[in-house]
Amino acid sequence: MDINTKALKKNAFRVTKERGMTASRIRVPGGHLDAKYLGEIQKIAETYGNGTVHITSRQGFEIPGIPFEKMPEVNVALQSLIDGLDINQDEAGHGYPASGTRNITACVGNRVCPYACYDTTAFAQRIEKAVFPNDLHFKIALTGCPNDCAKVRMHDFGIMGMTVPQFEADRCVSCGACVKACKKKSVEALTPVNFRPRRDARRCIGCGECVLACPNAAWTRSDKKYYRLTLLGRTGKKNPRLGEDFIKWVDEDSIIRIILNTYDYVKEYIDPNAPGGKEHIGYIVDRTGFEEFKRWALRDVTLPDIAEVMTPLYWKGVKY
Amino acid sequence: MIKNDYIPFPSRILEVIRHTEIEYTFRMEFHGTVRPGQFFEVSIPKYGEAPISVSGIGENFVDLTIRRVGKVTNEVFERYVGDTLLLRGPYGNGFDVSDYRGRDIIVMAGGTGLSPVRGVVDYFSEHPEQRGHMTLIAGFKTPHDILFRDDLNRWEKNMDVILTVDCAEEDVACHVGLVTQYIPQIQLGDVRNTVAVVVGPPAMMRFSVQGLLGIGLPEANIWISQERKMCCGLGKCGHCKIGDTYVCLDGPVFNYTKGKFLAD
Amino acid sequence: MGFCVTSMQLNALFQTWQSNYYIYAPRIFSGGGRFSDTDCIRYGKIDCVDEIVFDKKSEYSFKEILTPVSQTLFFFTEGETKEADAPKKGAVIFLRSCDLHALKRLDDMYLHNGPADYYYQRLRENIKIVLMGCTHSFENCFCVSMGTNVSASYDMSIDCQPDGTYLVDCRDEAWGQQLEAAGASQMAVVPSHVEENSVTVQIPENLTAEVAKSSMWKEYDSRCINCGRCNFVCPTCTCFTMQDLFYSENGKAGERRRVWASCMVDGFTDVAGGGSYRKKNGERMRFKVLHKVLDYRQRNGYHMCVGCGRCDDVCPEYISFSGCINKLQNAMTEVTEQ
Repeated sequence: MDINTKALKKNAFRVTKERGMTASRIRVPGGHLDAKYLGEIQKIAETYGNGTVHITSRQGFEIPGIPFEKMPEVNVALQSLIDGLDINQDEAGHGYPASGTRNITACVGNRVCPYACYDTTAFAQRIEKAVFPNDLHFKIALTGCPNDCAKVRMHDFGIMGMTVPQFEADRCVSCGACVKACKKKSVEALTPVNFRPRRDARRCIGCGECVLACPNAAWTRSDKKYYRLTLLGRTGKKNPRLGEDFIKWVDEDSIIRIILNTYDYVKEYIDPNAPGGKEHIGYIVDRTGFEEFKRWALRDVTLPDIAEVMTPLYWKGVKY
Repeated sequence: MIKNDYIPFPSRILEVIRHTEIEYTFRMEFHGTVRPGQFFEVSIPKYGEAPISVSGIGENFVDLTIRRVGKVTNEVFERYVGDTLLLRGPYGNGFDVSDYRGRDIIVMAGGTGLSPVRGVVDYFSEHPEQRGHMTLIAGFKTPHDILFRDDLNRWEKNMDVILTVDCAEEDVACHVGLVTQYIPQIQLGDVRNTVAVVVGPPAMMRFSVQGLLGIGLPEANIWISQERKMCCGLGKCGHCKIGDTYVCLDGPVFNYTKGKFLAD
Repeated sequence: MGFCVTSMQLNALFQTWQSNYYIYAPRIFSGGGRFSDTDCIRYGKIDCVDEIVFDKKSEYSFKEILTPVSQTLFFFTEGETKEADAPKKGAVIFLRSCDLHALKRLDDMYLHNGPADYYYQRLRENIKIVLMGCTHSFENCFCVSMGTNVSASYDMSIDCQPDGTYLVDCRDEAWGQQLEAAGASQMAVVPSHVEENSVTVQIPENLTAEVAKSSMWKEYDSRCINCGRCNFVCPTCTCFTMQDLFYSENGKAGERRRVWASCMVDGFTDVAGGGSYRKKNGERMRFKVLHKVLDYRQRNGYHMCVGCGRCDDVCPEYISFSGCINKLQNAMTEVTEQ
């Protein structure tokens, strides 16, 4: 058997422990899909695979037990999923054009969750369109609110939804619900002053608990959506660590620009001898220094007025 | 255009009498009709309005006994004679002394509950000919909380005054125990010709009324006064409503035949 | 006088109103909902008829126009007071039949329970009512049970037609003349109303305050979160609290305002000295429910609740007020058999 493992990996297949067998990896940007695609996945698993499906830790599907020779047929069968989930592709019928940049994960977001500050899946899909296909090893995750159910701080780019609470004083009934909610469920950014809440903007994390708690629509959400962007969290063998805050109150467009800029930065500085052309961005930043990264990342980025850029950044984590 | 009942009028502080660490009586200039048991809405600087019952009535003044609770009424005590406070009122029905004329009278008061009945006791102390035998049982938490000491001494001269405190650390010149304990000591005549006025905290009123009913007083011979959070005094704000009754309009004084139906 | 009018003819009428009145109607507050990317439908000023939401119930009622959430009563300085100014214009209010019945309750509370309320009256004297017809019942409505589904006292009625025109019954003479002059076609118009709701309630004939002793209230101790939304959206809840705002350190200058209050929210019954009544949420629920369907009637001769169902629409804990009313019969049996 003569198989180019580099090529099959790039095509979103895997070299498995079972000789001659591969697994097909299906991207689901934002982790939300029409239920009809589950039927497609079932069909592929039962026709070409061993009849099982793994739900991956990155919200995709992995269909194991596929003989290498079936890959072209599987690629044809994947076309409806690739089209339906609007995945960028070079050539129809040839499967996924890259696998380095991982599936973009998201919590359920405001399609379902009351806490979410935005449609996480829609934003994930927007990022997917901007960054895929790409061979560089980027991990991006989105979460609806600072609860961070999507654990975005474990990713290179973590995106947390925020809202700037808007207060209409004349609708306030002095019930104290917002102050209590902020204190008990969030960061205690509200204090009562003259019967009404006063918001400490520096403390506020934009979670929207005040809006949820307000019984009279005195607190509402800002028209514009904002995010907290965390940087360069990672798992791995050498130095797993949580992502650190980079920008508080950043907007969607800037986030996408920053991610694209980072691809340029990585292309410039990645270790040419990295095994499999794969190197966590964090290690590259450790090498170049944060300021150099920042210079690249913020190129042509116009941040909103309220954005706060944290600098310099230091990461912790366990070092082995 | 109708009258704006929310606008308070300025009233001069004529005198300030300190009773305890936290309780003071303000003698406020007032010309007009007022009954014991009625209340004023008093604007307390840096706090806001609070309903305060009338604890004394004179020709051109009313006494308002104010308890300093937390930051509540702190500021008012820093005011001095000659300064003014903003008042609205009087509100509520108050006590009608004609209900008690010619009869044996029992007054049971707990804590600041003595304020609203002070005018009634004073009236019958000064007009003993208008009543039969009279007993006042006044209860306070501790000896430090006793209000109107001078009045109590004065009243003692022509009526039975039983002064009691819930608890005392040292020997005191008064009784120790709850007011209800002293009901058996009341010198009782014809219960049908005996009336009672009970004012105090909810539990004290409940047990006192039970005690009085127990010694045979008819319900119709008992009056109570309810303390509620009267924000407006005008039957609008809703804070003092109990069932279909607005304490500020229909009370705060209730004959027990009506008062017994007031369940929060 | 009935008309079929176009939105252009109506907007022209609105324009003449604007010289003397603000126009208030249920409208969309885009992004104004609790959750992200959701709207809120509530009362606000409008300029043209297209802004009015006809096909949904407003989350909050019209009452905030007549009894503002927060209303400054007067300003004070060293012993002097200055009354707060009245709004510069009157109000034309678009509302549905249930809310028009609620207006009667507001009137009875503010004008007849004790002395007439100065601030309410000065607004009330200068309003015009436009009745919005109801072609169908919304979720949780039980106006038919409460007898509030039909209203007759309005200055104009309005029904939105599928073709984009409006049927109006104009009782105001000047407005009628203007529509006539504008060439609106005359026809007999009766505002639409609903004859049945999917939700019905039965208030027991023998209901008394004794029902407070029932065990039915206990479930609300834990289910209810005492947020007060049911009160704030209710068109008949009128409670308020006084607040003094001090401009100076010595507390001698400032303003007094009144602000909506809720009998479900902590602090409503707090008295000086730390006492309070109805600590349990079930007790508060009972206090509210019995006010709406028992003791208000004892005082005023008719029920307070108008069956708009907004309290059910808004409750984050899915507590149904109408469901609670329908438990009263069994509760009465429970307390009378004891």
